Amino acid sequence: MLSRLSFSGYFALLMLVLTLLFIFGVTMLPSYDPYGQNLAAGLLPPGGSSFDGRYYLLGTDQLGRDMLSRLALAGQVSFAIGAGAVMVSLVIGVTLGLIAGYFRGPVEMVIMGLADLQLSIPRILLLIVMAAILGPSPWMLAVILGITSWVAYGRVARGMALSLREREFVLAARAQGSTATWNIRKHLLPNVLPQMMIVGSYEFGQIVVMEASLSYLGLGVQPPLPSWGMMVSEGQTYLELAPYLAVLPSIALFVLVASLQFLSQAFTSENDSVDLPERIKG
Amino acid sequence: MNKPAASDQKVLLSVRNLTIQVPVGNGTCNLVDDVSFDIMESEVFALVGESGSGKSLTMMAVLGLLPLPLRMTQGTIVLRGQELTELDFNGMRQVRGKKMAIVFQDPMTALNPVIRVGKQVDEAIRLHNPGLSAKQIRARGIELFRQVGIPNPEQRYDQFPNEFSGGMRQRVVIAIAMANEPDLLIADEPTTALDVTIQAQVMDVLREVRERTGAAMILISHDLGLVAEHADRIGVLYSGSLVETGTTEQVFGAPQHPYTAGLIASLPRVDQKVDRLYSIPGFVPAPDKRPKGCAFSTRCEMSRDRDACTHARPTLRSMPEGRHSACHYAEETESWAKAQAAARVVLDEVDDSALRQAAEPILSVQDLQKEFDVSRGFLGRRAKMKALRGISFDILKGRTLGLVGESGCGKSTLARVLLRLMEASGGQVMLNGKPLLTMQGSALRSARRNLQVVFQDPYSSLDPRMTVHDIIAEPMRIHDCYDAARVNELLAHVGLGPEALLRRPGQFSGGQRQRIAIARALALQPDVLILDEAVSALDVSIQAQVINLLRDLQAEFGLTYVFISHDLSVVRHISDDVAVMYLGRIIEYGSVREVFENPEHPYTQALLSAIPRHHVPEAERGERILLAGDLPNPLSPPSGCAFRSRCRHAVASCAQSEPELIERTRPHHQSACLRAEELSNPAKLAS
Repeated sequence: MLSRLSFSGYFALLMLVLTLLFIFGVTMLPSYDPYGQNLAAGLLPPGGSSFDGRYYLLGTDQLGRDMLSRLALAGQVSFAIGAGAVMVSLVIGVTLGLIAGYFRGPVEMVIMGLADLQLSIPRILLLIVMAAILGPSPWMLAVILGITSWVAYGRVARGMALSLREREFVLAARAQGSTATWNIRKHLLPNVLPQMMIVGSYEFGQIVVMEASLSYLGLGVQPPLPSWGMMVSEGQTYLELAPYLAVLPSIALFVLVASLQFLSQAFTSENDSVDLPERIKG
Repeated sequence: MNKPAASDQKVLLSVRNLTIQVPVGNGTCNLVDDVSFDIMESEVFALVGESGSGKSLTMMAVLGLLPLPLRMTQGTIVLRGQELTELDFNGMRQVRGKKMAIVFQDPMTALNPVIRVGKQVDEAIRLHNPGLSAKQIRARGIELFRQVGIPNPEQRYDQFPNEFSGGMRQRVVIAIAMANEPDLLIADEPTTALDVTIQAQVMDVLREVRERTGAAMILISHDLGLVAEHADRIGVLYSGSLVETGTTEQVFGAPQHPYTAGLIASLPRVDQKVDRLYSIPGFVPAPDKRPKGCAFSTRCEMSRDRDACTHARPTLRSMPEGRHSACHYAEETESWAKAQAAARVVLDEVDDSALRQAAEPILSVQDLQKEFDVSRGFLGRRAKMKALRGISFDILKGRTLGLVGESGCGKSTLARVLLRLMEASGGQVMLNGKPLLTMQGSALRSARRNLQVVFQDPYSSLDPRMTVHDIIAEPMRIHDCYDAARVNELLAHVGLGPEALLRRPGQFSGGQRQRIAIARALALQPDVLILDEAVSALDVSIQAQVINLLRDLQAEFGLTYVFISHDLSVVRHISDDVAVMYLGRIIEYGSVREVFENPEHPYTQALLSAIPRHHVPEAERGERILLAGDLPNPLSPPSGCAFRSRCRHAVASCAQSEPELIERTRPHHQSACLRAEELSNPAKLAS
């Protein structure tokens, strides 16, 4: 059983490493400038060559920019925004969720009320307001996207905390005189983290797409800086003419998200005995 | 292997050379290894074994319900001349439910919570009687309900499972199993999830329905006492192999395999107290790590070093009187078991209850109360549930108080209130002469060092993400007195080697985990240890090891125990004093010998009579008191004596006021029954 799990874990790890190598490696190799336009060589299919004899492995976009180097650069941007946002939302969500689930009572009511309140406002609206106020730098985007997506972590963390706080190892620690901070840090946090990583890998994909929607509205990453989400939405226009424009970044996004997900799942099931709440089980 | 059946009986089910494999890594591993047995018409055959022995898998194979990736690789299963292993899915469906039916362990999960119980019974009847009309099916279902002793069957037929208590649900499950009057009833731990008094009721129902239809039964159980009382013949499984078969009297009277002998010897007895229980050393090996030769050889104290045991795998061979044993030296078992029994010293219990009055108690509980606010119904009408009412007891240093009662009697609530995990609603607790319940802050923190706890579930009481070292060190880290050497010392005290330190709880068996939990509880050198069902989840042989360990530690460190348990035999063995609880109150309290030998309260008497007495011949077991009904709803207990609704001695005056817990007939023996004087003296009662 263990060996099988490790296999999918290793495979996911391999895919993740390859994706990251691609993202960060291609721009280091001697390759075309991702911003360099070549209007005469627009919409070349993968493997096509331009009139001046330049070879494009993954083709070019409508402005004749090299897809290979753009895909890598966009990957860097998307990965940074996704990872940053997941980090921000994970920290906020886990902290609030564990506090709510451990202390119960009024604290829980306030925190979960806040979560419901936030869910009742369309996320895109919140994003627009915050992006308009804070400006569209990639780092600000990560923070904004992070702040608006903590609820998923918060709810799962609270649910698990509710059951963990009644577990006998937490009761035993309380009987030994441990403080609430101790129990949350030493017992609750390590037991929810693997599940949080799974939630994180789901959220990662969502965030990248959400960033694309913001780009649509002109509030996301500002051109000419590309991101995967933005490339997908730009490519949609040319879906019949040059499907690879939208397909290539979609595949890249899929591989990254899937490998993250498998990796966190393999990590969880290998040394885990705390059950996932039913509703987030795959 | 060929096993002749007793000549006067017909074989109903015959299992031959059953082998069940599971893929492990590149190879396979036999979870059940070459098991053969016969079941006669109308008999009760018990399959006994510890967890992991393969007893449930054997039955799943008989039903054709083995879950993937398990596979039956060898063997035949013949039911009344029909080979079951060759049947396809549809053929098997005709057998399941019609010729064989199963009663599962947990009545809480065996019924679908969103379907009315009646519909679930109807379904079972309709499957094999497609011609019946809805009306006929319902009539048959209600008749079944009546047979399994469900009161008001017409009304209860349309209720949902959550409106039934555990015992009543198990009756519904039995009704479903008996719906088509199967020839063979498979009962997989049918009463393990139930309380002692309910257990007796359910076993009674099983016996009645079997007598009515003449069905045979396979009783799968880890509970030797239960088996001794209800089975005709027994098969003992160890690590996937059958090691002994014989009639119940033969097996309990003179076991022919050292494993069986060891299991029987490790059961505490309710009629005597010995200096230490026999315990089988070690633990059941994992199926892929069985020793060469005899699988039991590493734990066997009878013949572990002999060549035959470590090299040749013994097979089940015929013994005199139609018995079978899988031991090379089966003939020696009897004398070995006798020598073991002789080596145990029966303790002479002196009545020292006078001492209790004289000395200063280490833990003193006075009039402890705990109420829960419960909102009932749609409008949230508030009600108070009294979980603890007027609990008072004293414990002297170095002694053990046993707290006994069924689930819902408040014994775990009491543990949590004493540990200050819940706030009491009233009363006082003095620990070392200081009031525990009013302490706050650092005073409470330091008082907690003196009062520690070991919980029931060895799987939930250790943090799965910590190493054993961190688990045992945690209390010291909380109190800033971490000392790595002390961790090693504690681990050695509970009988584990230092190689355990860096591993995580997932790699340990239940018994080992419980040892780790005990080491953690001892880390701060507490005076009092609360053991909340600390040995209840363990297998018999492991339970004896842990009980012995607890007694050794008590002798070595002068520990005081509050031993909470539903198992009266264990309480008898380990306690000095005992308090019996019913619905939040102590109803009888005294030295363990006094209470067990001269029980005054009818509830205590019923509990004691429900203990299976495997060591007493059937004829001398005495009358079994079957308590009627379930525990009353604690939100609206009966007026007067709370036990009145189930008491066969109740009279009108019982309803008027709750009897106090006072000395009624003998000094230092308190009970809360108005009729204690008559009841403790059977002669008087008769007249």
